[in-house]
Amino acid sequence: MMTTWINASCILVVFLALSILASYRMAGMIHLFAAQSLVVGLVPLFLRQFSLSQNDLMIVAITIVSKSFITPNILFWAIRHVPTRAEVKPLIGIGASLLVSALLIAVAFWVAASLQLPGLSKSNLVLPCSLAAVLLGFMLLVTRTRAISQVVGYLVMENGIFLFALSLFDAMPILIEMGILLDVFVAVFIMAIVVNHINEEFSRQPMTLVRSKMGENT
Amino acid sequence: MLLLKSIVLQWLYVGLMAPFLCGVIIKTKALVVGRVGPPLFQPFYDLLKLTRKQNVYSQTTTFIFRCAPVVVLSSLLILSLFIPLISQPAPIRFAGDILMFVYLLGIGRFFLIASSFDTGFSFAGMGASREAFFSCFTEVAFFMNLIILALLAQSISLSQMIGASTPLSWPLFGPALILVVSSLFLILLAENGRIPVDDPATHLELTMIHEVMILDYSGRDLAAMLYGAMLKFLIFAGILVPLLVPVRLGQAFPDLLVFTAGLIAIAVLVGIIESIMARLRLNRVRHLLLAAFALAFFGFIVTLWSRL
Repeated sequence: MMTTWINASCILVVFLALSILASYRMAGMIHLFAAQSLVVGLVPLFLRQFSLSQNDLMIVAITIVSKSFITPNILFWAIRHVPTRAEVKPLIGIGASLLVSALLIAVAFWVAASLQLPGLSKSNLVLPCSLAAVLLGFMLLVTRTRAISQVVGYLVMENGIFLFALSLFDAMPILIEMGILLDVFVAVFIMAIVVNHINEEFSRQPMTLVRSKMGENT
Repeated sequence: MLLLKSIVLQWLYVGLMAPFLCGVIIKTKALVVGRVGPPLFQPFYDLLKLTRKQNVYSQTTTFIFRCAPVVVLSSLLILSLFIPLISQPAPIRFAGDILMFVYLLGIGRFFLIASSFDTGFSFAGMGASREAFFSCFTEVAFFMNLIILALLAQSISLSQMIGASTPLSWPLFGPALILVVSSLFLILLAENGRIPVDDPATHLELTMIHEVMILDYSGRDLAAMLYGAMLKFLIFAGILVPLLVPVRLGQAFPDLLVFTAGLIAIAVLVGIIESIMARLRLNRVRHLLLAAFALAFFGFIVTLWSRL
């Protein structure tokens, strides 16, 4: 019974990563990422079959709060304060990136099939799906030009790594997990500030170009 | 004789259900925005009204234009016999009937496209080219889903694939079936020109796909074309519902009730989606269809994985 839930949430994680790749609005991407983090955060509950120690419960709570509430809100704050266009600008088109991501999913499953890992995995879909999420996040990171969408790509990758760690360790080392979460949190925070600063630094640049062109015309 | 009876029953059910589902969608859309809306049986009245009118043909059209409604409607009527609706195995079934299914859809589509080129009307040509373009994507995704279902059911007959064994495959292959269902739903929206792809309520020439192709038809021919579109919705919903509602009670009548409820639920869902979403920009529709393909492909990989 639990395996079904774990499998379903693993599928959902990759599904949401695919929809993040297919979405062309920043806000939509962030919403989808929040949903994905919620699903990833719930997986430990299914892995432990709801019989959780206090530590586990704390990790679940902190993961969900930090990843699907705080981080998306920081990103929303960043896109509110940066007057950039709301649409993503991929280097390769969304259609092509969808096809490539379908291939990447196949690669992830192929790698997972030949990967012999120690530790017990309660569900056989966790490993390939986590690899697929990592690859899709990496794809997002590489093919997008706007900073915010790259941050989302980084976070999707992190979700994949989180899922991967879940499949490997029976008892999650709380210190490591907290460390990763803190890293991610700080990274997102810094990136939001950097995006803001880049914008302040270069906000006048395009305007001057526009002015000079206007001068030529008149 | 038994076959004849089941065919007649199936056609009776399909024939009455298709306009009714259309009415359900229109009613849902009206209710969501707070209007009363036309009665549920309005599509019946519309079709009856159209059959009483005479056909008007443009002078530039040839015999293709006149035979297209017949071909479209009859191909869809034959298609509807492949779906296990009333009797648990469908009236027509044989190994490999999924190929027949897809190609019959193709024949209907070919004649629809050919007839709209036949009018020499430039907007109809545009609509036809869009239909052809999008159907390239939907057919690939549809085939991918059929392959998954064939793998799950170990059969290449539609009656087996979405038939009695589906409730058994949900606990085992749930993840793959989730992907199949979501992919098929996107295909249903695209094939029937529903809202993220095309708006069936608009007659704005620059954006429409299906409506522009039947713009030159009138009278009985228009009724046949509209009826064909309703049948197509019922057929795609009829593939989706047995997967989505994995309940088989074993008796014909309760099963039919469950199935009808599922069909109405799909129609309501489509109506709600049409009310809360805007149509996608035309050059983004293919992304939606590629997403449907990617989901199906993912489902295919998951199926292979879980059979390892």
